[in-house]
Amino acid sequence: MNDINKKRTGNLISIQDSLVKARFFDDVIMGETAEIAVDGKFLQAEVLQILPDPKNADAGIVEMQVFEDLTGAKIGDEVVFKGTPLSVLLGPGLLTSVWDGLQNPLYKLSEEDAYLKPGMNAPALDEEALWDFTPSAKVGDTVTGGDVIGSVPEGKVDHKILVPFSFGPCKVESIIEKSSVNITQQVAVVVDELGNKRELKLAFRQPVKSPIPFRERSIPKHPISTGTRVIDLLAPVGYGGTVGNPGPFGAGKTVLQHSLCKYAVADIIIMAACGERAGEAVEVFKEFAELEDPTTGESLMKRMCIFGNTSSMPVAAREASVFIALTVGEYYRYQGKKVVLLADSTSRWAQALRERSGRQGDIPGPEAFPMDIPDQIKGMYQRAGEDLGTKGSLTFIGTVSPAGGNFQEPVTQATMDSTGGFWGLSQDRADAKKYPAIDPLVYTTSVYDGFVTWKDRQKMLSTLNEANDIDQTISTIGLKKVPVSNYVQFQKGLTIDFCVMQQDAFDKVDACTRPERLEVINRAVQNLIDSDISFEADGMDDEQLKEMIKHKFDELRQWWKDWNYSATTEEQLAQLPNAIDKFILQEEYAV
Amino acid sequence: MIRKEINKISEVGKALISVEGNPGVALNHVVELLEAESGQSLSFAKAINITEDSTRFQVFNGTTGLSTRTKIRMHEVPLTAGFSTKMLGRSFDGSGAVADGGPEIIFEKEVSTRLDTLNPTVRNVPKQALWTGIPMIDVFNTLVKSQKIPIFAGPTEPYNRLLSQIAQGAQADVIIFAGIGLKFDEYQYFKDQLSQSGNIDKTIMFTHLAGDSQIKGLMLPDVALSVAREFGDQGKDVLVLLTDMTNWSNILRNVANYQDMIPSLQGYPGSLYSELAKRYEVAADIEGAGSITIIGATTLESLEDPVPDNTGYITEGQFFLENGKLKLARSLSRLKQGVNGKTRSDHRAIMTAMASLLADAEKAHEASEVGAANDPYSQKLLRYRTDFIDNIEEPFGEPIELEAALDKCWAILKRHFDPTETGLSKKLIEEYWDKN
Repeated sequence: MNDINKKRTGNLISIQDSLVKARFFDDVIMGETAEIAVDGKFLQAEVLQILPDPKNADAGIVEMQVFEDLTGAKIGDEVVFKGTPLSVLLGPGLLTSVWDGLQNPLYKLSEEDAYLKPGMNAPALDEEALWDFTPSAKVGDTVTGGDVIGSVPEGKVDHKILVPFSFGPCKVESIIEKSSVNITQQVAVVVDELGNKRELKLAFRQPVKSPIPFRERSIPKHPISTGTRVIDLLAPVGYGGTVGNPGPFGAGKTVLQHSLCKYAVADIIIMAACGERAGEAVEVFKEFAELEDPTTGESLMKRMCIFGNTSSMPVAAREASVFIALTVGEYYRYQGKKVVLLADSTSRWAQALRERSGRQGDIPGPEAFPMDIPDQIKGMYQRAGEDLGTKGSLTFIGTVSPAGGNFQEPVTQATMDSTGGFWGLSQDRADAKKYPAIDPLVYTTSVYDGFVTWKDRQKMLSTLNEANDIDQTISTIGLKKVPVSNYVQFQKGLTIDFCVMQQDAFDKVDACTRPERLEVINRAVQNLIDSDISFEADGMDDEQLKEMIKHKFDELRQWWKDWNYSATTEEQLAQLPNAIDKFILQEEYAV
Repeated sequence: MIRKEINKISEVGKALISVEGNPGVALNHVVELLEAESGQSLSFAKAINITEDSTRFQVFNGTTGLSTRTKIRMHEVPLTAGFSTKMLGRSFDGSGAVADGGPEIIFEKEVSTRLDTLNPTVRNVPKQALWTGIPMIDVFNTLVKSQKIPIFAGPTEPYNRLLSQIAQGAQADVIIFAGIGLKFDEYQYFKDQLSQSGNIDKTIMFTHLAGDSQIKGLMLPDVALSVAREFGDQGKDVLVLLTDMTNWSNILRNVANYQDMIPSLQGYPGSLYSELAKRYEVAADIEGAGSITIIGATTLESLEDPVPDNTGYITEGQFFLENGKLKLARSLSRLKQGVNGKTRSDHRAIMTAMASLLADAEKAHEASEVGAANDPYSQKLLRYRTDFIDNIEEPFGEPIELEAALDKCWAILKRHFDPTETGLSKKLIEEYWDKN
């Protein structure tokens, strides 16, 4: 252990964008944080590399990335090493918070200035808020890192107070009675095996680059109801699962992310707005506050926290923001919560690594990304998972913004290699303004039976596939040469695509489909697929017959779309399978 | 105040100079270059890379004519831009110096060009439409105050004409024109258009012509946006026109290469995304103050080029101009949902229905090129497509109001389809079909 009381310093000898070098004479720890004094402000930095000093055998050189703008920095400016790695403050008050990428609370900072200036910072969590602490550990108990000593209600979330993960076995020497305390007050004293007394508070700091361990890790298999039909039907994600969601710009990644924020059934949603548009994060924390959480009926923000490291903020903090968000997710998972982390976008995160490695002069890999980018991406997604020991889970859904919309680029490829699920957004579907533009034919999932059985899902898929093939045939040889039976098959697929796979994210009813409704839809879909409809062909030639078939299906689709927008009661829900049955028999079904 | 001077330049390259040792200059601070004998000011420069062994500067006016004996005078302040309401109606270069031959301006204040990020919590959620009178924009991709959106276009497309048409109709208190790498006639075209429309008195032009010093082009958006931001902070609604950001990105690429940075795609630095984002993110609707809307022009050969590609991920949509038409399929306004639900009840539905039919029509069109698409429905689609291109995707013409534009859409649908083929709800069909 380094003596953290001794002040260790260095002085800048090189400044280039966000990368600096400093000469030091004491010792420096790889990965520790530092503060650089520039014009009376203290800028946050992180040690990347330690090198020998070619000019002075008694000294060393440390290379650091700086999380803030360095304008005004000079050679010789003092660097103070902090002895601790990049970390996050964990405790009650995390929910509803909006931070930058380094956990500075943005609302608090806005009291000082409308603009984010270098050197600005504030405590990550409200230090004055009082929390009703109920102890659960007793004097004399042996506790270790991650054990629960009590809890506080955080909105409707039962927030467990944990022994910091770095602690070994300790004995509880004292613990306060049930009372209101803030995060700076001592709630318990524990004694470790060496006899050192250590105090516990409601909050503690946790390094972000190494994961909080699982108690008993398991394979995710229980599907999350996301409310988005194409996902829940064809590519469900399990609690604790991972999904990569690539798509060219304009394909609807953001709308989909927002929809997941609103409708995914989970205890906690963490959003890491990583290098993306500020406006999108603003929409979430300003508008979602007004929306209701489907499970608790409270404001949606009560189950959320947001890291808004948006695209114009310093690049180095972008890398940090994803790790900080992951650590918050792991912390709640350890408390037994179902957490969904949305990272938008992991490509911007990878680009931050690329910018840095470029400045460091590393030999570049494909598209100038660092050689080890696939490993870094894998490592990141590996932190998600389900924990049977705590009954918590951390689901990680990362968007990918492939350059040129090309899924062959390094970040998309590495993501496909790392995640259990894959929702590919297609430019063609987006151009046709089909939402969500998840291509039902370009996806993967690791959840075997989701809200519908594997068999039903496969039937749906083969119908869509077949319709797609027939569509291509029509495009190449013309409708005339396509047999009537194939045309009916094509119309079935088209109907399933239009009425089920596509959804209106801005309509109150259609935006979210829950499992009960999904079940009704699936029944209708399966009946339609299995049906053998005989269309009356009295005196019609093939062309006229096809016209008529198209017309009938057009009517059905219009009816079904109306149903999507309006049906809410049980009775209304039942109309869909009825209508399909009647349609199959070619009877009147309009109500 | 006596300013420290450096007497020896060790290296003069393209747009960059270096001195040996560490003269004590700070990052991004400004120095002035002076002719050794006469002491005449030659240019300003900015410190971009500092080590204890050497310091490197970007020279605003270019390096031609500099020698190792050129003096460097340190100003010990970061780069700022002069600000004054007297700038309205005037023209400036990329560094903010008067460029129209008119009298010098006494600035009210100096504003930082660092473009600090606006705290996201101070942003309002954009909710106010900016009507343009162009149906393709107003109906299908409504422009919203505080939006950042480029026009994507091939180099020979009339993108500057479109930019100028939007600018003339837009309700803004101040228009900031930022032209990078422009040809002289493009600059004059804008100036004439703004004069004719009577908007010149609320316009400030910052212009960098092709062939001017690269560093001045590189810094132009920062100077223009800092001035725009100051107006925004003072409560004004500002419209910024950035043309052409591909030129700007190419300068960025050149300078990055002079600085020996490792290129990522097509020679552009890995920071291209962050550099573009830093500028476009200035667009904002500021709580308790004004707003800044940015419409850019991005010329491209292919949508997959790094500049349009990165831009698309940064901006809130794009207008895609091809063969003089605003193409529906590739155009997008990401903020339209915040405004088009409060207009006429059929607005969103007609937008979706027509787009979906057009996508089918494009498929039929492809099929027709290989002799397929002979069935009656495909023929309908093909006729619809032609009608749509001629009447909706055409951006140039008499401006029309939203309601009239919506009626025009219904009329087109009715010309070609049966109500059930449109995918529109029964309710809307009953309300609007027979009216048009």
